[in-house]
Amino acid sequence: MTTSRAMTAVLSVGETRRPVLGHAALAVLGVVCIFPIYWLYATSFRAPEDIYSLSPFPWPLSGANYATAFQVLDIGGLLLNTTVMAVGIALGQLLTGLLAGYAFAAWEFRGKQLLYLVFVATWLVPFQVTMIPNYALLSQLGVLNTIAGVVLPSLCSALGVILLRQHMQGFPTELLEAARLDGRGSWATLWTVVVPNLRPALAALGILLFVNAWNEYFWPALVLQRSNAVLQLGLRSFMGSEGNDWGPMMATAGMACLPVLLLYLVLQKQIVNGFVRSGLK
Amino acid sequence: MKRTLALVSTAALLLAGCGVGGAASDSAATSFAPGLTPDQKVSITLESYNFGQAGAWSDTFTELLGEFRKQHPNITVTGQKPQGSSSNPASDSVSSVQAQLATGNPPDVAQLGFSDLDFAVNQLGAKPLDDLVGRDAVQANFGGAHPFAPKAATLGDLNGKTYGVPFVFSTPVLFINATLFKQAGLDPAKPPTTWDEVKAAGLAIAQKTGKDGAYVDCVTQSAKDWCLQSVVRSNGGHVISDDKKTLTYADAPAVGAISMLQDLVTSGASPKLTQQQAVETFGRGDMGMILESSALQGTFAKGAKAGWELQGTGTPAFAGKPVVPTNSGAALFVLSKDPAKQRAAWELIQFLTSDQAYTMISSKIGYIPLRTGLVDPPNSLAAWAAKNPLVKTNIAQLNAMEPWVSFPGTDYLQVRDGMMKAVENVVLQGAPAQATLTTAAQQGAPLLTAGG
Repeated sequence: MTTSRAMTAVLSVGETRRPVLGHAALAVLGVVCIFPIYWLYATSFRAPEDIYSLSPFPWPLSGANYATAFQVLDIGGLLLNTTVMAVGIALGQLLTGLLAGYAFAAWEFRGKQLLYLVFVATWLVPFQVTMIPNYALLSQLGVLNTIAGVVLPSLCSALGVILLRQHMQGFPTELLEAARLDGRGSWATLWTVVVPNLRPALAALGILLFVNAWNEYFWPALVLQRSNAVLQLGLRSFMGSEGNDWGPMMATAGMACLPVLLLYLVLQKQIVNGFVRSGLK
Repeated sequence: MKRTLALVSTAALLLAGCGVGGAASDSAATSFAPGLTPDQKVSITLESYNFGQAGAWSDTFTELLGEFRKQHPNITVTGQKPQGSSSNPASDSVSSVQAQLATGNPPDVAQLGFSDLDFAVNQLGAKPLDDLVGRDAVQANFGGAHPFAPKAATLGDLNGKTYGVPFVFSTPVLFINATLFKQAGLDPAKPPTTWDEVKAAGLAIAQKTGKDGAYVDCVTQSAKDWCLQSVVRSNGGHVISDDKKTLTYADAPAVGAISMLQDLVTSGASPKLTQQQAVETFGRGDMGMILESSALQGTFAKGAKAGWELQGTGTPAFAGKPVVPTNSGAALFVLSKDPAKQRAAWELIQFLTSDQAYTMISSKIGYIPLRTGLVDPPNSLAAWAAKNPLVKTNIAQLNAMEPWVSFPGTDYLQVRDGMMKAVENVVLQGAPAQATLTTAAQQGAPLLTAGG
């Protein structure tokens, strides 16, 4: 009796300890995740002569790095260009994903499986393999050094097609049949029946694609040779053979993060949904 | 299903890979590029990593192009940075030209590093300027009211011909934190001149101040080998034979030099850091000495405003042996195949290496003018040189300088990286010097001739 009471006591202590330990571990992980972002902003507010300081709290606070960043770079222009690029890519990928996903999910045609596999296969091809052919194509089209050149090869994403096809396959076929009996064509069915019902999935995917495009660095670095027209390239322009200008770089990085952070705060639910639905992290 | 997927993936990979082509070398003889007629309009591109760095670098180059436009209204020059995603745009210089060659549209003028000279000539099709505009014109450009330093003028030569006009340039400088020197009881007015003195001063600083002693920037793969070549040559060694057929960095003088660098670390005079970490530690005022590119003076001067005193001196020597500084930097090459563009490119190169351009480049960016006479009073850079005493140190080193030797063949970067990896293992990881360097040299030897 005494033994069992003691065991119960141990168990209950163990049970209460477990969540505490779990929370402690999560808190440590949370700090580890947030620390680089904190350090970014802390560095951006250091005085230029303290830029190499390892003190965790910047003091005295200085806005000099932000002033230099604005003086050296056209931050407003970079934000505008980056927004145009990211919105263009996200909308393009959503549209092509929607049309292709609809075709794969709702239609039966010869070679459908093979074609779908080709789409999947393009997802497996590393970007480094396609970059030179894409670059050569852009050169022939004469759109190198333009935002259009950055957007054009990214208008179709296998990820978008695959995810939207999966969503549409779960769409009740009865609704599609009913729309057909109502006399609606495929195009009208897509926009009046399918899209309104897929709105949450489209919103989640759209945000995911926007964030991906916003953070894109490699491809703009190849295409935009004659300017640093987007934020990610503007950031790099503070690095060079003669050392890195960490202060203005961190100030610009801090500003580059803001739109995505704001988007996250406003649309937190949809973004989490996006990650959960896509199974991606 | 799996097989179909595999087939489709393979086909996609093959198709996607079709466009990846190596840059073909241009072995055809280069003919004379005739002068432009007064009404002939030409557009050319200038690719320089300086356009990739915001602030003084890109602003000065944009201003230079504006000045050139005023003097040559018929020549339009578009400036561009190398394409690529490296954090340092200079690292992308060669791969960028290769990628553009693959599309048949390379830049007309490119600023490429001295270590890429062999590859630029044999693989990227850099044109021999002696054939393009005549040897006399090339030599005349090195002359003028304030001629090029004699050692600098030949840095872009290969096999007896001038391919590149040396443009920007730096030498290794021993930067000193005079404040830490004083705290350790050392006299910053008498900085170390030999490696033995560097070790002794480094140990004194480490022991008495608890800060780092001395760091040499040429012991890691990412730092490249330009100043390692200086240390090795100052000990009477070479990293490659004169005929460029044998790697010699496992020979006794080179092994001796690299063992000295290892001893700095094992004795505690030098910390185990990467180049970036070392630069930041020194910039923070937490290191006594660092052998670094003179181009970093501005970065360190900014750090010194936090309350420590920055000084500099020349590269240290091995006791009883002469110092051999090497150079880091880049030259301007003509890559265009079109005679009119070639001539316009030459006009641009002449302007960019003129008194006027060097005055702007040195005073606004801080690079050493290769027309060294400009710093003597009453010339245009005298006031600037007076404010920057390290300029004199650099120019003095320029007179004793030997070129940064480039490795030959298409695998030249692999050869260099193999050597630097071995050096890193010896110096920072404590691997046995002779055995490690011999193994690396044996592995690198077949690469010298591959594709060369």
